[in-house]
Amino acid sequence: MRAAQTRSEGEDRCSTRRDFFSRIGDGLHGAALASLLGQDLLLPRTAAAATGERRVHDLRPRQPHFEPRATSVIQFFMNGGPSQIDLFDPKPALAKYEGMPPGRDLANDIEFINEAGGFMPSPYRFARRGQSGIELSEILPHLSGQVDDIAFIRSMFTTHFNHEPAIFIMQGGRQFSNRPAIGSWIVYGLGSENQNLPAYVVLDDPKGLPVNHIQNWQAGWLPPVFQGTRVRSEGSPLLNLKPDEEYPAPVLDLARSLLARMDRRHRDARMGQPELAARLMNYELAARMQLAASDALDVMQESEETREMYGLNSERTASYGKRCLMARRLVERGVRLVQIYIEGQIWDNHSDLDTSLRYACGKTDQPIAALIRDLKRTGLIDQTLLVWGGEFGRLPLAQSRDAGVAGRDHGPTGFTVWLAGAGVKGGTVHGATDEIGYKAVENRVSVHDLHATILHQIGMNHRDLVYSHDGRDERLTDEFPARVVTEILA
Amino acid sequence: MFARSRFPAACNALLLCAFAAFLSVAGGQGAAQGAAEPRFESHIAPILQANCVACHGEQSPQAGLDVRTREALLDGGKSGPALVPGAPVESLLLQKTASGAMPMGEASLSPGEIDLIRRWIEHGAPLAGETPSSVGSAVRGRASPREVLVTTIYVKCLLCHGRRRQEGGLDLRTRESALAGGASGPAFVPGDPEASLMIRRIAAEEMPPERYQARLSYRPVTSDELDKLRQWISEGAPWDDELPEEIDPATDPLVSDADRDFWSFRPPRRPGLPLVNARDRVRQPMDAFLLARLEAKGLSFSADAERLTLMRRAFFDVTGLPPSAEEVEAFLADREEGSYERLVDRLLESPRYGEHWGRRWLDAAGYADSEGQVDFDAVRPHAWRYRDWVIRALNADKPYDRFLVEQIAGDELFNYQEAPHPLAPEESDKLVATGFLRMGPDGTYSVSQGFVAERLTVVADQLQILTSTVMGLTVACARCHDHKYDPIPQRDYYRLSAVLRSAYDPYDWLSPNEADIGPDANWNESNSRLLPGAPAREVEEASRHNLPIETEIAEVARRLEALPGPLRKRLLDEKVPGVDIGAQADLRGILGEGLDHHAEEAGVQEELAENDPAYLRAVELLESFVEEHLSLKTKPLVRALFDMGGDPTPVHVLYRGEHRNPGPPVGPGVPSVLSTGIRPYRLQPLEWSSGRRLALAEWLVQPSHPLTARVMVNRVWQHYFGNGIVPTAGNFGRTGAAPTHPELLDWLAVEFVEQGWSLKALHRLILTSTAYRQSSQADESVRALDVENALLSRFPMRRLDADAIRDSVLKVAQRLDPEPFGPPDEIDVQPDGEVVARDRTAGQRRSIYIQQRRSKPVTMLEAFDAPQLKPNCLKRSNSTVASQALQMMNSEVLRANSRYMAGRVIDAVGDDPGDQVARVYLASLARMPSDEERADGMFTLEEMTKAWERRLEEQVPMEPKRTRARWLALATLCHAVLNSAEFLYID
Repeated sequence: MRAAQTRSEGEDRCSTRRDFFSRIGDGLHGAALASLLGQDLLLPRTAAAATGERRVHDLRPRQPHFEPRATSVIQFFMNGGPSQIDLFDPKPALAKYEGMPPGRDLANDIEFINEAGGFMPSPYRFARRGQSGIELSEILPHLSGQVDDIAFIRSMFTTHFNHEPAIFIMQGGRQFSNRPAIGSWIVYGLGSENQNLPAYVVLDDPKGLPVNHIQNWQAGWLPPVFQGTRVRSEGSPLLNLKPDEEYPAPVLDLARSLLARMDRRHRDARMGQPELAARLMNYELAARMQLAASDALDVMQESEETREMYGLNSERTASYGKRCLMARRLVERGVRLVQIYIEGQIWDNHSDLDTSLRYACGKTDQPIAALIRDLKRTGLIDQTLLVWGGEFGRLPLAQSRDAGVAGRDHGPTGFTVWLAGAGVKGGTVHGATDEIGYKAVENRVSVHDLHATILHQIGMNHRDLVYSHDGRDERLTDEFPARVVTEILA
Repeated sequence: MFARSRFPAACNALLLCAFAAFLSVAGGQGAAQGAAEPRFESHIAPILQANCVACHGEQSPQAGLDVRTREALLDGGKSGPALVPGAPVESLLLQKTASGAMPMGEASLSPGEIDLIRRWIEHGAPLAGETPSSVGSAVRGRASPREVLVTTIYVKCLLCHGRRRQEGGLDLRTRESALAGGASGPAFVPGDPEASLMIRRIAAEEMPPERYQARLSYRPVTSDELDKLRQWISEGAPWDDELPEEIDPATDPLVSDADRDFWSFRPPRRPGLPLVNARDRVRQPMDAFLLARLEAKGLSFSADAERLTLMRRAFFDVTGLPPSAEEVEAFLADREEGSYERLVDRLLESPRYGEHWGRRWLDAAGYADSEGQVDFDAVRPHAWRYRDWVIRALNADKPYDRFLVEQIAGDELFNYQEAPHPLAPEESDKLVATGFLRMGPDGTYSVSQGFVAERLTVVADQLQILTSTVMGLTVACARCHDHKYDPIPQRDYYRLSAVLRSAYDPYDWLSPNEADIGPDANWNESNSRLLPGAPAREVEEASRHNLPIETEIAEVARRLEALPGPLRKRLLDEKVPGVDIGAQADLRGILGEGLDHHAEEAGVQEELAENDPAYLRAVELLESFVEEHLSLKTKPLVRALFDMGGDPTPVHVLYRGEHRNPGPPVGPGVPSVLSTGIRPYRLQPLEWSSGRRLALAEWLVQPSHPLTARVMVNRVWQHYFGNGIVPTAGNFGRTGAAPTHPELLDWLAVEFVEQGWSLKALHRLILTSTAYRQSSQADESVRALDVENALLSRFPMRRLDADAIRDSVLKVAQRLDPEPFGPPDEIDVQPDGEVVARDRTAGQRRSIYIQQRRSKPVTMLEAFDAPQLKPNCLKRSNSTVASQALQMMNSEVLRANSRYMAGRVIDAVGDDPGDQVARVYLASLARMPSDEERADGMFTLEEMTKAWERRLEEQVPMEPKRTRARWLALATLCHAVLNSAEFLYID
């Protein structure tokens, strides 16, 4: 009935964190690599492999289920929970209820219940922007110039009010920590267009890892080859890509050639051990990756004008701007998925809303708008899907009974996420929260709906992207009913 | 924060009503937008009629579900309600149809139909004539006594009115005790909700108290729950009096005879040995089973491996370490018959054996030195005692049945509460062993992740560890529904969880951390998982060490306590009279007597400190004093699993695994399908304990148990030969792989039991078999006939595991600190992100003794597939990836160890390059180099020395340039050898 399912059998092995080099592990049969090395590595395939019983997991490009709108995805992961009420979802009616305390039912959704204050309207002015006239907050001046490229989903909801579980839901579909991240599903389904770079790149903030740390890009029980690769934007981009201090060049050459001779002697004495050949390749590949990664991530190759546009010359925007620019250079080279993370929890505005929210917007607003403009300029926008959002939003209440220092507590029942780029109908608003911005009430969109929509844009049906694990057919959307949000698609 | 929380917010009922009203208006507005809203009769019923009623209709509704009316959908079936108005995602009706799971077979609903169902549910699931707002009253307030009890009273009341505490004298565990009431009278008046104290106190938001809800992870009673409570009381407040069903496993209708007949559910029987041609190749009976299969394919075992190859293999397989140069030389010198068997005996007696095989058991138990789950990833300061127990038990060859019983029910083996403390070592050990079921990830110490749902996940992880490790069963699916492939009904999952309930009660939860979180010290003690059960020696040692320090700290603290007195007095006299009259009494209480709860009192102190510089200075002084004296030894506490005493809360089947969706009650028990040839689970309550886990342990270690011995011998086999006889080590069920040699598996299982469950006997058997001693080389004709080596026509060459690689590097560099046991060694995160073990005076210890922080795996171990324990691991994966090359080539860890290694080689053999090369080979590869290899090494060494000399010409080093260049050259050569395949693989 369904022709183009993506499915594999899982091995009964424990998953480990692993970076992109893993492709070589099972990619031994990869003709691309073999030719790259000028060496025939297509060893006799085993009987089992020939009959398809043993699945080979690699990052060679795979056919999507249908014609995709996007070939790459850039995700702005705004962990912490950006406040929809102060950024995207104006709620003038809140003014009526200012200061009123919440009832007992709201209290069940509040993390720091001892600190809950009364209702708090947004301190910011909203104004209509662009041709579409979509209202946006004054603290997003740069993004305001791009609203016509963006589809806002104002009716997102999730099911946990605390960061760790909610981030797991946003990344892996459920609040448990052992499931593969959406990025891992994507590269499992589609592989990569560039075999010399990671398929799934994570650009984390040099100031610190997000909540859930490296678990954000884990492959769970998918083969480790599909895990996200953390690429640093400062210092050595990959762990141990270079030593602290390199040996003198002739010494290094001597060491490498001695090792190669030892390994060849070892391999030649042991026939039928493909692992040993793979090992030899890895040592050569490691050196080549150093060049490819260094080149892709070198933003100094960009013009002064471009760097200025991304905010690289201003202290406030330089860090995030650099990662946005790196993201463009990576998708340009065929990297399937780039996730950009933000330091710690800058959207987690529990206190002092104005200062902390302005800080977060100030850091990210210009670079993100620049990336959209840059992608449009180069035409890459037609094949790149952009996704912006956190793990939840925030409550219409003040957190703290002292209005002067109040922030907002987590709000999982209604928040905003936006998409732009390939196949997205720009200048759209989809769904709505209630009068006070507390709960999504109209055209509610679940996290699974969002996942299904992202997969749809890159040519995959969420029901057909299947991995068999422990005898169970697993999907990103699990057993949850998910629906592609067609209303925001062009 | 504390200051704010002390003053309850003014509660304005009027505002609340206003809010409730506008919320419903807001909802109404949203809903009113769709013009043609779907109704049940006109839109939904026809879809259901056409697609579902055939199975879910009048005639024997499948899974108890009838879909013909909205009422019936709300009632639901075996999986709980099919419809949750307003919540499409939570409604099974939509879940099953949208996922394609229903209707069964090829047909599925069209996207339009699914969308219609979604919209109907979203709008409150109205009938014809209903508006979304009128639906509410029609479908709300339907609550069974069980739902009220389990979802409201258990969750929100029992903490303070239950087993551990009866605040105000009130105990809500039974109807009788609730009616008997407490100091203020009965909890409720059956039939009269408004006269019931419970309703009045909850409605007034006095209960559950706001004060501790953040710290103790409970939430206010919602208006829906309150409605249901009212309705329940008005109906007479009946208790849920259904008793768990008695189950006779032999006749249980939920499993069929065919299920019971599945090979792994029948006891193993010792098969006769097959006849083979090459009888001289049968060193151990197990060889015959393998050989018979090989011969049937025209194959045989490969020739015996070379002596040194076999020696190196055995060293790694038994101890996880390579032989030292001296050990190689000693073995070479032993030319007598039986030298290999003597080596095996020596290795099995080595304390390194328990460390190496202990690592595997710890993987299976999900061991870590931190809690995981929550970002903070709190350290588990007492987990290491369990690690040490495992290592000691293996070294002592504790029989496996005993090994299991102590881990599952050590606390039930003796009356540890009555036993004189400190405990005798063997008693203490029994408590430490129960750490087995405390090792999974557990974030419930975090106040926002300590709710019932998260607690149930902790229990689920522990069940997963227990069943996969000991029984080779994956029961996790049955948490939410009957197992799809294996005959594990959901009921049996909850019977197993009832076995743990007396120790893991989600409604009576013990916190995983040491820190105080409760209302008072008394509470904290009763809330701790840590038992003061360390052996006398340790208790004495710790108190000898700690006592003088603690005395000093207490003395400073006492002086400090006196300090804020004058400030308090000044505030009382000068400031309090000026504040709002209503707050005065509170303030007087706080400033006058202080607070009984010391965390809050600390908050007060903190605020006082902020206002008094002298006080602040004194506090800083104390802090620095404590800092300087932080050489306090770990408290002698045991992270144990123990029966909490009394009756735990009843266990219910939870439909879809949700605690808000309770089904029938179940008692403790085991999967019904495991009933052939063994005696059933038999609960015999003990004087001091419920006996639930002891009954499980004793059931498991029956000699004829179908799974216990098979599962363990299979895992031991897997560690020697790469794959188990059943390749899916944690799944012996239908979805697992079939055994490659079923008779061999049974022979080993029976033999294992008959040898008194001795693991060392099992190891000796395998190590001295022909299968194990054969070469890993085989020519192409053999490989073609046994492609995957499933028949073991040769020994499987394989890479060392992560721990063995790191430990081996340290050993050949002579930096392996052999000290066993005790608290784990610290790790450091370097600026580039690499996680490394911290150096000790004598180098570093084996990986098993390095702190295992779930969020910060040691990079070197992670690179070589050290598992993420979520919750556990029975078989590590084995990848060959380029990041390993980067790690081995570029990490300073390897480079530094290479320099150490070079230093020791020069110390041992002096300056002769030929001797140096030979020594490097001997120490790292356990063999002498061939002439070609020696020449290659010497040539490289000479060239490297020249290159280093040229580099040093440009510098002004402290050491003599030529000496330094020769040392650096040798270090670089060692580095290359440590990177070699031969070093990292076992032949």
